[in-house]
Amino acid sequence: MKPIITFPSWGNYSIALKTLFEKMGLEVIPPEKINSQTILEGAKLSPEMFCFPLKTTLGSYIPALRKGANTIFMVQNAGGSCRQRYYGRIQEKVLKEQGWEINFIDFKTTPKDIYSEFKKISGASFWQIFQAARFFLKELHLIERIEKDAQFLRPREVEKRETDKILDWALLEIDKIGDGKRLLKLKKEILKKLSKIKIAQKKDVLKVGLIGEIYTVCDPTINFEIEKKLGWEGIEVHREMDLTYHLKKAIFPWKDWLIQRKINPYLKSTVGGHGRDAIYEMLNYVKKDFDGVIQLLPAMCMPEVTVRPILEKIHQESGMPFLSLSLDEQVAETGINTRLEAFVDVVKNYHNQRIANKLRICE
Amino acid sequence: MKTYLGIDVGSISYKFVLIDEKNQVLFWLYKRTEGNPILAIQNGFKELRKFIENHNAEIEIAGIATTGSGRYLAGVIAGADLIKNEITAHAKAISNFVPGAQTVIEIGGQDSKIIILENGVAVDFAMNLICSAGCGAFLDAQSFRLRIPVEKFGELAIKSKEPTTIGSRCSVFAESDMIHKQQIGHKIEDIVAGLCEGLARNYLGGVGRGKKINPPIVFLGGVSENLGMRKAFEKALEQKIIVPSYNTVMGALGAAILIKEMAPLKTKFRGFEISKKDIKCASFQCRGCPNQCEVIEAKIDGKIVARWGDRCAKWSNLNPV
Repeated sequence: MKPIITFPSWGNYSIALKTLFEKMGLEVIPPEKINSQTILEGAKLSPEMFCFPLKTTLGSYIPALRKGANTIFMVQNAGGSCRQRYYGRIQEKVLKEQGWEINFIDFKTTPKDIYSEFKKISGASFWQIFQAARFFLKELHLIERIEKDAQFLRPREVEKRETDKILDWALLEIDKIGDGKRLLKLKKEILKKLSKIKIAQKKDVLKVGLIGEIYTVCDPTINFEIEKKLGWEGIEVHREMDLTYHLKKAIFPWKDWLIQRKINPYLKSTVGGHGRDAIYEMLNYVKKDFDGVIQLLPAMCMPEVTVRPILEKIHQESGMPFLSLSLDEQVAETGINTRLEAFVDVVKNYHNQRIANKLRICE
Repeated sequence: MKTYLGIDVGSISYKFVLIDEKNQVLFWLYKRTEGNPILAIQNGFKELRKFIENHNAEIEIAGIATTGSGRYLAGVIAGADLIKNEITAHAKAISNFVPGAQTVIEIGGQDSKIIILENGVAVDFAMNLICSAGCGAFLDAQSFRLRIPVEKFGELAIKSKEPTTIGSRCSVFAESDMIHKQQIGHKIEDIVAGLCEGLARNYLGGVGRGKKINPPIVFLGGVSENLGMRKAFEKALEQKIIVPSYNTVMGALGAAILIKEMAPLKTKFRGFEISKKDIKCASFQCRGCPNQCEVIEAKIDGKIVARWGDRCAKWSNLNPV
């Protein structure tokens, strides 16, 4: 059986993941972008009490399988150690019960495991895999860079929604590209276009940090485009959690030790997933004098639910506005919008009050 | 005379409040939506028109604001100058009507919230997330099952001397608990009072968890009409609970105050004729990209007046201004 690859859909990273496999000479059918239909299909097959990302990724494979994909790549500990470790096993079982004849590859995010699995399936040489990985990292870097640029530009743009038009165009163009030289050229073109966006100088922009579970934080469809919504309301969003952050942690394990040292007064051990990171990030945002923090989590996500009371405590101590949003298939967008709109008002009140206090001290 | 209108369209009821420039309430209305918010808003305007014709024909509406979960729909139909979330609206109204209040408990039909105020502005809030146990809709369902009008529920509850314990973690469990207590022969008022206490516990353990609940505490929303719930909160918090006048329409009142302070030069109000027009709302799935957003389209007399719900603004950009 000639392997035709698909993989879990994950926001804009799907673009980079697609080229990674293509570069190794494999045939790829990318997963369907998450939408209401794929969520529905995934939820229908999944165990009811399992976390939301399992359902959405499962739903995203199915259209690709219908188009002829027969091999699924799923990473085993992308979210640290929590239920995510069993995603692969459960998805494989569920799909096989549905009668799909598939080869399910469940690998760990250690360089050794990734290499050996890729080698086995593609038969590519070390050099080819190395080149593919290098290109993947370049593409990933570009995607994350323009996402970050957009976070900065959105609240400042003079013409509304101009940034997002360029961002959408850029992501489509990156998707089409397959070699290094053209990627470099495109990178220059994208950055030039972004730098030409007219921005309002000296604007008092509010800053909000986005923390929480890595999949929900990074996938704009799952989190109802929270970054865009806040950006359009004049808020600069900061988010430390992304794929590079996670890969770095997988390669340099001492990062966890550094995080642990910083959060010792609040939590003395790991709680799985990216629980510790959430506390570390929130403390960091408090230190940087941000105007608010939003925690995103799939409903009943164990690590995030465990650290939520700690985050609440930091919020009570510092006075910085904090909002925790649980996301699941049932959540209607109106509910999220109401909370976000109210949160934006609270953040604005907090910001104005702090400015008033500063002025009083100056007098 | 310049007046300002606030409309709050919730899950179960809709509210209209008309205020003058001194924040005096001239007219208010609280009615059930009965599953048809469009017709409800039209009826609301009919009643408002009747009031204006009978009382003071000089009333001129200088601004409209909508709030509540149906705020976009209401805003499109009425031609609102401001569409605001209900948390900010409630906070605004309370800072005007109960100065100094620090905590607002609001329980409506489908959602419950807590708002923490400092110096009259909202500094923190929480809303129930996925579960809406303990909201008005559940009390409604129980009153129907027990054949007691929901308005009498509270009176019955305060008659009880020994409320029974009813588990309140989930409304399905609460209901089976109630049935069990009925079957072992508990008095109906004890069960109803137990239910109220359970719901107050559920609220404080869920929505209110981790929040600084400082007095003065204000209780709002449809459920605040229920005397049993007021008593249950007083018992659970060991604090006096303030239920101000206009407690059920506070969201609409807040919206009206917000638009009054904004003072638009010219209102976008579509006029009272709106109650006679044919308003239709439909949705379609956009196939433009894999997002497949559900776009909502509102038509008045066959003419498209607004579209919303798309993520890329492809459809909402076409809205006539």
